Amino acid sequence: MSILNTIVARVLHSGNRRIPQVAETGMVYSHQGEVYRCFDAPLAAHTFDGVFRDAMSPIYPVNDYGPLMPGLVMAAVAILHVFLAQFAVGGGILLCYFQWLAMTGRSQNARTFVHGYFKVLVLISFVLGALTGVGIWFTSIQISAATIGEMVFNFHWIWATEWTFFCLEVVSGYCFYRYHRQLSDRTCLTLLTLYAVAAWMSLFWINGILSWQLTPGDWLMTHSVMDGFFNPGFWPSLLFRTIVCMTLSALIGCIVVNIIPNLERADRQELINKAAHLMMPMLAMPILGAWYLYSMPDDSRGWVLGGSPAMMLFFMISVGASLAIGGYALIGLWFQKLYINGATATLLLLLAFGATAGGEFVREGSRKPYTVRYVLFSNAIRPEEVATLRAHGSVTDDPFPVIHETQLPNETVTVGAKVFRRQCAVCHTMEGSNAVAHLTESWDADQMRMNIAKLQQTKPFMPPFAGSAGELESLVQYIQWVHQRRPETWDKTIDPQAIEHIQKWLDEAGTVAAGFIPQRIQSTAHPQADVRSTVGSFQ
Amino acid sequence: MDRMFPFGLESDLSFYLIVYVLTLVVHVFLMTYVLAGSAWLAWATMFPGRDVLPLTTQPLAMILRDWMPFALSGAITAGVAPLLFVQILYRQQFYTANLLLGWRWMMVIPVLVIAFYLLYVIKSKAVSRWSFPVRCGLAMSVAASFLFVAFCWTTNHLLSLDQAAWPEMYRSRRAIDAIMPLCFRLLTWVAGSFPTMSILASWQLWGMRRCDENREPSISAVDWLALYDREDRRLAKVSVTGLLVAVISCLCYAITLKSNVASQLTGNPGLPWLLIGIAGVAFQTIGWWFHLRKACFCTLWLTVITVASLGTLIAAASLREIIRLSQANLIQVTESTRAAADVGGFAVFVIFSIINTALIGWCLRMVMNRHRV
Repeated sequence: MSILNTIVARVLHSGNRRIPQVAETGMVYSHQGEVYRCFDAPLAAHTFDGVFRDAMSPIYPVNDYGPLMPGLVMAAVAILHVFLAQFAVGGGILLCYFQWLAMTGRSQNARTFVHGYFKVLVLISFVLGALTGVGIWFTSIQISAATIGEMVFNFHWIWATEWTFFCLEVVSGYCFYRYHRQLSDRTCLTLLTLYAVAAWMSLFWINGILSWQLTPGDWLMTHSVMDGFFNPGFWPSLLFRTIVCMTLSALIGCIVVNIIPNLERADRQELINKAAHLMMPMLAMPILGAWYLYSMPDDSRGWVLGGSPAMMLFFMISVGASLAIGGYALIGLWFQKLYINGATATLLLLLAFGATAGGEFVREGSRKPYTVRYVLFSNAIRPEEVATLRAHGSVTDDPFPVIHETQLPNETVTVGAKVFRRQCAVCHTMEGSNAVAHLTESWDADQMRMNIAKLQQTKPFMPPFAGSAGELESLVQYIQWVHQRRPETWDKTIDPQAIEHIQKWLDEAGTVAAGFIPQRIQSTAHPQADVRSTVGSFQ
Repeated sequence: MDRMFPFGLESDLSFYLIVYVLTLVVHVFLMTYVLAGSAWLAWATMFPGRDVLPLTTQPLAMILRDWMPFALSGAITAGVAPLLFVQILYRQQFYTANLLLGWRWMMVIPVLVIAFYLLYVIKSKAVSRWSFPVRCGLAMSVAASFLFVAFCWTTNHLLSLDQAAWPEMYRSRRAIDAIMPLCFRLLTWVAGSFPTMSILASWQLWGMRRCDENREPSISAVDWLALYDREDRRLAKVSVTGLLVAVISCLCYAITLKSNVASQLTGNPGLPWLLIGIAGVAFQTIGWWFHLRKACFCTLWLTVITVASLGTLIAAASLREIIRLSQANLIQVTESTRAAADVGGFAVFVIFSIINTALIGWCLRMVMNRHRV
């Protein structure tokens, strides 16, 4: 009976998450040498495993991918999946359009195209698209279990809703695939429409979760799932992606047209021109792109528009590739000045893949130093945990040993290796891609200590160092040990004066990230507070 | 836990467990079709029998070849929901096991992709013209792929239970600590997949034999029905054998459990499910035995077997969760689900579940009415 009550209560109260009382939270920040206690900011309400906790987040084992930084592994799977999933979404819209053309007699060969295209859709999207979807989940766990855990925790019912659309997508798709030759035109169109709607709705749901990571908006204050879902980045991102889906489907349509046997060139031209109709919404891309950029936080937008050369480069690749495709579509296909053969269509599709890859890189990169803005740093440490980790140490409770521990010369270097694994390894390798050893090559020991202690000021897209002064010194020694080609013995001891300097720099830098500026306010609710209260000012 | 699972638990935890178990059963139902179906296809390809018959006169193999890609697609899609809820219930255990297995776990995806495409190859008409070794290789590759996936899931699950072993597993990069529980558990699921697959396959055979249009023109109607009866008998034999092996390996697995875990299975939380499971197996065995003796289709008994199988699967899934909860930090799991229950969006899920279920029903109705076009 109590379970039944729970279900009824849950349906009736679609519910915002309970914001915990101050006594349960009490988050401490330090900024520019001053200590703040955050009573009112909902950031303090963060949970792990749903527990408003005194304990820290659990530590997960970290895998070493050799010279590949984990982010690259994630990017490879994510870009492939996004590309295929967007093809599936756009494919549904394209098929509905062509079925309608066939039914209304507007195109003689549209029906042949629909049958050929759906086979490609099933073989590519239903297999690779579906499995890379699961793959992206598994990869996310490998790269940042805390991030995917946070997303699943906050949006599990949204994800479950998306799953119901997956089911509809698969059933309607297979019904059409198996029986379209035995069904009336009207039934075929109905099935294709259901397929297209289901596919687009799956984009609708996942888009809300993904855009929440960069622009959580009012969710930070309310913890309402709807505030998180319909966040500032939701609509521009959804509309932009919808156009991308349509463009991809049209380009693949052009390839399919070229491989359908027994068609005259004029027939192919006609089908290609019809497919190109789905590329016309690309004209709205600049406006939607600008809207999306506008919805981004200032610092993220700054990196995309020049602050970070790598991100700027990928952004330009994305824009350039989109312009090339749009230009070809407009001049060649809409005005019918050019014919598009299979090779050209494939080339344009590769350009679209480049645009997708660039766009996804920018979307992922612009979240730095967070994976969920103001909630979780890239290294899976929460902003509110930094102060505690500074005092307690970030690897003190790490149960997982360093692999090949026996090859490390002493305890200090071993601790350093653990600190690297906990705080750096998600984005950096030691000597492979984005290698810490190379990035710090020209720094002397004191520079290294200061730059890492003031990391969020050294590089604004880096999170603050979240460990003790001793751990930072261990990390420095670990890096130096690697610089010196990993000697068998390492006699350096920890210098108390160095620790003193590190502590001073850590205190100066504070525990908040670069984009988070605390504001002093008087906490009316807790006048007895012995430190200043603050809410975060989110840039 | 002092009452029948999941009722002795906090209501939010019970709720998530129910949702998890039910969605898992749907996934398992389709997954068993793929796992046992691929093994059946491999066997049928390698040992076509003394009377080597054309493909069209092997109704079951024909059905499996035709439906396996869809069943795999369905199994993968149905698997998304339990994969979601396991992250709510056992986040730390599940994630840590994933990470400890590392690339060995990630291999599941490319292996499934390959198996999926091979299923389409097996389904194609061209394959019947290929040489015997190639066909055998294809069928065996598919079966081995699904067996590998089953092995990975079993390893992952057992690793997630053994929290004390995590640091050592990380250091040694080993995936398996105790080989016997792994073997018994894997064998239970693999053997148990045959009777479940047989149910779906039997219903498909029942539907197919009713349509004379499927009959090979060179075969008389009487011989055609005899072929179906032969397939039915084979399914019954395989199912009874599968049930027997599954029960024995399940008992062996139970022996490897720690006493406090085993006591939960035979105590208040697990005993009712244990009895339901035993009853389910008994009814299935009786049903298949009846099929075997009568050697013809009987929809009544097939219905009984189906219901009994569903009961067995729900009981098995419940017992599986009792074992897991007995080894988990119950306070942490309870608090975790309590907090998850505060997250909104359930109403959205309910509304769209109803709408989409109706739409799926509509799709099926349109397809079933196709002959009237």
